[in-house]
Amino acid sequence: MKITVCIGSSCHLKGSRQVVEQLQYLISENNLKDKVDLGGTFCMGDCQNGVCVKIDDKAYSVDPDTTNEFFKTEVLAKIS
Amino acid sequence: MNDLCAEIGYRSINHHGEELCGDHVEIVSGDENSNVIVLADGLGSGVKANILSTLTSKIISTMLSAGMTIENCVETIAATLPVCSVRGVAYSTFTIINLVNNEEAEIIQYDNPSVIVLRNYENYDYPKTELNIGGKKIYKSVIKLQEDDIFVAMSDGCPHAGIGISYNFGWKHEEIVDFMQSVAMGGYNAKNMATMLTDECYRLYGGEPGDDATACVVHIRKRCPINILFGPPSNRNDGDKMMSLFFSKAGKHIICGGTTSGIAAKYLGKEIEPTLDFPDPEIPPIAKLEGADLVTEGVITVNKVLEYAKDFVSENTKYSHWEYARDGASLISRMLFEEATDINFYVGQAVNPAHQNPNLPINFNIKMNLVKELTECLSKIGKRIKVSYF
Repeated sequence: MKITVCIGSSCHLKGSRQVVEQLQYLISENNLKDKVDLGGTFCMGDCQNGVCVKIDDKAYSVDPDTTNEFFKTEVLAKIS
Repeated sequence: MNDLCAEIGYRSINHHGEELCGDHVEIVSGDENSNVIVLADGLGSGVKANILSTLTSKIISTMLSAGMTIENCVETIAATLPVCSVRGVAYSTFTIINLVNNEEAEIIQYDNPSVIVLRNYENYDYPKTELNIGGKKIYKSVIKLQEDDIFVAMSDGCPHAGIGISYNFGWKHEEIVDFMQSVAMGGYNAKNMATMLTDECYRLYGGEPGDDATACVVHIRKRCPINILFGPPSNRNDGDKMMSLFFSKAGKHIICGGTTSGIAAKYLGKEIEPTLDFPDPEIPPIAKLEGADLVTEGVITVNKVLEYAKDFVSENTKYSHWEYARDGASLISRMLFEEATDINFYVGQAVNPAHQNPNLPINFNIKMNLVKELTECLSKIGKRIKVSYF
């Protein structure tokens, strides 16, 4: 599974760093380092809905407060 | 003509409790390759010293750059300076470094600490000729310039640093030479070398300088162009033109902006690989792109660079951060402030639709202002700037 987080200007201001760090933490906490590939990308062109996150090719809108839930429903649920 | 240029930087610390500095540095650029630099130290401290040194350095630099002789300058100063009511003399010591065509340096010294010349990082004991002008002993030297020659002019506040506190007799000339040798090896910008020297004086004075102390550093170096791309072109079809102009330029290439780097990646036929490291939490991560030396996010990063640039031209208190940090803004700062002598800006004027959201503190005017202010700061630190808009 490949998770891509936008680190462009808008998403940065909306908290993409917190999202990245939270995801990094959650991935190692759940021992998913060899199953989940976390990467960054510059602007995805959907700044209004930032922070933009993609799982494989599906787009999501996440913010630092919803990162935990996003991880639970979209990552953990699908990987096991 | 040669491909050398002079990087000039200076910094002063004030006599403890004084708001004004009694030392003054004045730089007049005749043409692109000639500079007259005058460091004057006015008698006493505070307002009086400030006026004396400002007058002295302004008069000398203006007259010399207009081609007058040193004799003329000294006579004019003697006739012009206001006489101190306490001491009954009009007095300001001075050091002149006159760079001609970046081929030759003429050094004229009157009563300031001797100018240190480092050649290949070794102390160079240059010959001096004594002149007697109006009863004043003035020393003159002419030195053919070589790449990496470093000149250090100081006011006497530097060798007096630490008298009675850290040292019995102040900071000895040989020890300052040693200090500057090790600083020079670090490859710092002239301004940072001057800052390190005056910071050391401040430390030796125990944080309460007993005199104004000024250092002015001139570093003769080879020209080094750096190109920086910022923003996509206003007309989509100009992308390739902008990229081919940008990438065909000699020197390193910095790309700022997500969309911009996307256009560059397409032009180069390579993939962008963003990193996810945040060495500075405020600054978005950098990315890797084969063919470019540095790829960063746009406005937030450049805004930080501008903050560093503004500090660099004034107090220079933030250099200890950007000199070593690994975030995008610090990396750009090092390349622009230290490495580059000539900087070519390629600015795209496209309005990013994503940035027009009123909730975001970014807009088109801010972006254009960033470029304007940044180029002004860089010109002030002696960089030759060219800006092309697309």
